[in-house]
Amino acid sequence: MTETGSAENQAAQPVAPGTVSETPAKKKGPRGKVTVFGTWCKGCGICVAFCPTGVLSLDENGHPYVEFAEKCSACHWCDTHCPDLAIIVEPIE
Amino acid sequence: MAHEEPINYYEYLRPNKKYPNVWCSGCGIGVVMGSLIRAIDRIGLDKNDVAVVSGIGCTGRMPVYMDFNTMHTTHGRALAFATGLKISRPKLHVIVVMGDGDAMAIGGNHFLHACRRNIDMTAIVVNNWIYGMTGGQYSPTTPLNARATTAPYGNVEQAMPICEVAAAAGASYVARTTVYHATEMDKFLEAAIRKHGFSVVETVSYCHTTFGRLNKRGGVVDMMRWLKDNSVGQIAAQKLDEEEKAAKIVRGVVCDVEKPEYLDLYQQVIDRAMEAK
Repeated sequence: MTETGSAENQAAQPVAPGTVSETPAKKKGPRGKVTVFGTWCKGCGICVAFCPTGVLSLDENGHPYVEFAEKCSACHWCDTHCPDLAIIVEPIE
Repeated sequence: MAHEEPINYYEYLRPNKKYPNVWCSGCGIGVVMGSLIRAIDRIGLDKNDVAVVSGIGCTGRMPVYMDFNTMHTTHGRALAFATGLKISRPKLHVIVVMGDGDAMAIGGNHFLHACRRNIDMTAIVVNNWIYGMTGGQYSPTTPLNARATTAPYGNVEQAMPICEVAAAAGASYVARTTVYHATEMDKFLEAAIRKHGFSVVETVSYCHTTFGRLNKRGGVVDMMRWLKDNSVGQIAAQKLDEEEKAAKIVRGVVCDVEKPEYLDLYQQVIDRAMEAK
């Protein structure tokens, strides 16, 4: 029980907000860097619910943070739909 | 993809205002504001050449945050003030943002006559089916049998089709979209601002705080998903029969025609009068 728990923790290790993980993306294609401005965000959860690749997650206070930064495909769903203009996605090479 | 380079929203927002903005968490009006900023950025208009006029209501708070020439006017009279502004300063790009109550109820007559005159302005109607700011009274666009605080057993009035009314009254560009389809909204707003003539863009939004609570539609995410599932494009709408079509929100350009514009016609009158002297 404890072993599986630790293995899961290692696999889902959260990346610091706003940074891009060193691990390369599995698929080739456009990638982006997601930045969430915590002071502007009201935590409605639209970005987390509709992100097609599941980059964002909600923390214990109900605010989104970038959990899997390397999954971002720069589709711009979150920054075009953020009602608080609190997300910016920058395309990266 | 929406846009290649990330847009700098701060350039178009007033730095001395309090953020986060005043709207409820997840309100679609914020999406419309972002879309309007992107459309203006894409056209490349100078901030001093744009005037944003609003009336009263949740949508009326939008110009407070945007760093253009702005005017916050009385309830329903945004189009009347904007008409005066456009006539006195014809080079300004006048954009009027209104809610459904502001545009269709209190300012309904101004709306009809602004469409009829075909003056070169852009009207954005944020339709959330209810008077949200005052506590959830039913509005002219509340659907039949939907609940509101003033209709606790269901609304008995038919909803007013904003786009069809605008097209029939003589607007030259009319389009409808939802806040879920923000990329499409960018396109429609860009076309509406570029159009020489009166243009109306109805953006179907939601009010989860009053409408969603009273009608048991769930939270922000549920109402956003509802917009996704219950709206169809015009090509898909042609395959549906009348009953199915009535239950859906049909997105797309309702009318896009070339008509003589008010200020051009007025200039001709001025020229004729000067010649007669």
